[in-house]
Parts: sequence; C-alpha cells; structure tokens
Amino acid sequence: MKKFKTLAIILAGIFLFTSMIGETEEGDKLIGVWEPSNKKIYLKIDKISGKYYGKIVWLREPIDPVTGKPKTDKNNPDESLKDVPLKGFRMLKDFVYKGDGEWADGTIYDPQNGSTYNCVIKLRDDNTLDIRGYIGLKTFGRTDVWKRLVNKKKKK
Amino acid sequence: MKLKTLMCSLFLVHLVTVAQDEEDYSIYDDLEYADESSTTFVSPKIIGLSPNRFINVAWDVQSPYTINASDTLGYAPDASWSIKETSNVSYTGGLRLNANIPVISRNNVVWQMGANYMNTNFSIDEADPTNEPILSELNSRSLNTGGLFTTVFKPLNDKQFLIFQGQADYNGNYTFTDFHSFVLTKYSAAILWGKSPHDRLQWAIGATRTYRVGELNYVPIIMYNWTSKREKWGTEILFPARVHGKYWMNKNSLIMFGYELEGGSYHLAGLSNNGNSFELRRGEVRPRIEWNRKLIGFFWLNAQVGARINYGFTYDELENGKEFFRGFFGQQEISAFSSLGTSLYGLVGISFVSL
Repeated sequence: MKKFKTLAIILAGIFLFTSMIGETEEGDKLIGVWEPSNKKIYLKIDKISGKYYGKIVWLREPIDPVTGKPKTDKNNPDESLKDVPLKGFRMLKDFVYKGDGEWADGTIYDPQNGSTYNCVIKLRDDNTLDIRGYIGLKTFGRTDVWKRLVNKKKKK
Repeated sequence: MKLKTLMCSLFLVHLVTVAQDEEDYSIYDDLEYADESSTTFVSPKIIGLSPNRFINVAWDVQSPYTINASDTLGYAPDASWSIKETSNVSYTGGLRLNANIPVISRNNVVWQMGANYMNTNFSIDEADPTNEPILSELNSRSLNTGGLFTTVFKPLNDKQFLIFQGQADYNGNYTFTDFHSFVLTKYSAAILWGKSPHDRLQWAIGATRTYRVGELNYVPIIMYNWTSKREKWGTEILFPARVHGKYWMNKNSLIMFGYELEGGSYHLAGLSNNGNSFELRRGEVRPRIEWNRKLIGFFWLNAQVGARINYGFTYDELENGKEFFRGFFGQQEISAFSSLGTSLYGLVGISFVSL
C-alpha cells in the first residue's frame, strides 16, 4: 500500500512537471521577432521572470523628419520619458500565458498617441498572431495581425 | 566578504544593463518572414485625429431669440410670406446621447453600430394654441431624435478605402408613451471612396442622402483630414456637413474651429391630420469653437460655444406620410414658413473615447 502511495505521488509529480514544461513550451512560442501589419516596426518578444515583454528593435523610418534625429517617444504623457529612444522601447508588457494559445493580462503601448491599452494575444498559427488592444472591455478595441520574422541566412 | 559579494553583484548587474543598452540592432535589418507576409491595410485613422467618441453624453443650450411663423396655407417654394405668429423663445436646449460601438474591428474591416438620442425643448413665451398653432405645438412638446446607425470602413489596400454609413432616424415631438408610426422613419446614407497617401492625410469623395438641412437632399461630399508634420495643426472636413480646423495645444487638449450643419425632419403630432404627416424641416448652421480636454484615462470633456444660425425652418405636409424630394427645382408646396433669430449656443459633454 505504501509503495502504491509513493508511486502515485511520483507519477503525479511527473505529470505536473511535464505539463508545466508543456505549458512553458507552448507559452514560449510567443518569443521571437514580429512585424505588425503596418510594417513600420519590428518587435522582439522575450520572457523575463515568467512574463512576456516586447520591445521595438527596428523602425522603417528611424529618423524623426521634424528634428532630423532618431525617433523618441515624444507622445509619452510622462514628460520625463519623451526623450527615450523608440528603438529599444518596451511596447508590450506583463503578458502571461493562459493556455490554448492565448496570452493576456498585459498591455500594449501605442507610440503614435502615447496611450496604453489592455491587450490580449492569440496565436493563429506558429507564425501569425492576432493582437487585440482594447480599453476596458474587449469590445472597445481593434485587432491587428502580426507575422513572425526570422534570420534565414543565419540558419543556413 | 559580504562587501566583495555585493560589489561583484553590482558589477554583474552593470554589465547586463550595459549589454542591454548597447544591443546591436543592426542584426534585425535582414530579417525575413518565417512563412508569408501579412497584408497591409490602410488605417481608418490618421495621426492627430480628434478622439473617436464611443459614448458621449452632452447638454446643448441656446440663448433667447425671436421666432415667427406664417399661416398654414401652402406656398410655392420661393414665395414670400407674412408673419402670422411671433414670439420670444426664452429657452432652447436638451440632452444628447450617442453610442458608437465597434462590432468588428480588425485591420481588414471596421464595422461599427451606434445609437443616438437628441432632445430639443422650446420655451416659447405666451404661445396661444388658437391663434398660434405652430408655435404652441413647438412649445407644448419637445422635439426628439432617436436613431440607429452603422458605419463600415473597408480598406481596399494599403492606401485606398471605402466608407459606408447608413442611418435610420425616428424624429418628432413624440413622447415615450405616445409614439407615431414607424413609417415616418427617415433614412440617410453615405458612401465614400478615398485614399490615405501617408499617416497624416486621408481624403475621400462620395455622395449622401441626407436630412441634415431639414429636407431630404442628395449631395456630393468631400472628406479631407490632415495633420501637420509637427502634429499641431490640421483639418477635419466632411464638406458640406462639417468643416473644422484644429490645433493640438498638447496631447491632452485640442481646440477645433469651424462649423457644422445640423437638422432633421420632425413629425409634429398635433398638426398632423387625416393620416398626413405635418413635418418641421429644421436646418441650422453652427459656427463654433470647440475645446476637447482629457479628464482622466479615456474620458474627455467636450465644450462648444458658437452661434446657431437658422438655415431652414419650414413645414411640409406629407400625404399619408410619404416622403418626397424637392431639391433645388421641385415645385411641391411648402405648408408654412418660420424664421428664427440668430442665437448663441453652448454645449458641454463627456465622452468615452479612443485615440
């Protein structure tokens, strides 16, 4: 009886461990470089302390046409952040994998107007994301399609 | 020993931070799609557009003015008329509600449904029902507009788009316990084709069926939304319905200046007989200055001051409630005329918006 109990505990442990690894692997499908449908920026999504964050790593037009200098977060409502370069700026924050190809509880920042929106991310397929930014209720939002980018030359 | 460990830790943290700050972003210059590219569609918004109101609650009020009305005789559209009724309007105003909810909002199509309610109360001094039937009718029951509308924005590619708008308005001096026939519902529509050459400009041309100046009309429309390079100045134009210049004082405060046409065709229950609909064709021009100010989060204040200039305030009798189109050349009789003195107006509202 005692052996059976021990076996059950070990099996439960293995099940829990493997399912956790499974969740992690599923969740980590978000990691990588993505391009929004407007093709103006690339975002690199990383995992930090169990949550997912995305920062701008490429801009189609890196120079501000008015100042002639690299673009900064000039629309940020926080005055002290207006001079922070957009390249490297963390636009996606605090996403948690909820299972079933969905990440939630995070926010997306729009540098064009300095607003931060609630956001939910869904994996349509391994290389396509549906990103919905919204205000309070998901109804008050908009969905964009992001595509995965890779360095194929490096693979070869 | 502890100090050494602390120093080492701080040095490591510094190294990591420096490494992050000095990331070589050039490695992202040569990326390719893992499978295929997404399609780029033109956005329904441009940079610097005024906040899009999902929900708006406002109160509109006008300063006192004089109102005149002719006898109900039947006149040629260009006929001269004499004053039979005259009075002072000491109060005109009412509540305005508007909701505009996205049903589908994706990069390849945006479909919104909305509802609006607008109430206008008139306090007309000493309007006598026997001698002044029209003014008395306006005085006794407020004018209401209840409408449902839909807007579809369909991008055709990364530059061109189509916009379709449809609206059904239930207008009249009905009360919530005394509705008139839904046959009298007024239908408006607009279709536009346009282009957005860059992030700060979108223009479109199209046509509309509208009651905006009171009577049914079919008119061409031009949209021209533009924001300057510095994102301070711009225009928001949907000619002839509204034309505005704009100036962003900062990201939380927007001044707009221009005009809007406002109006509709209203069933007046007390003057409608034998199945006909006696309708007030009301149209006004509102030159104004408008201030939009962020209150908190996505809630914005909207305040307007300007003039209310009468464009049309005539009355038609629709046989069996059947609408007609007079246009510029139609000779259908006008049942009665009114004229209104110009007044000042103010509007204050709160909106739940998207930027």
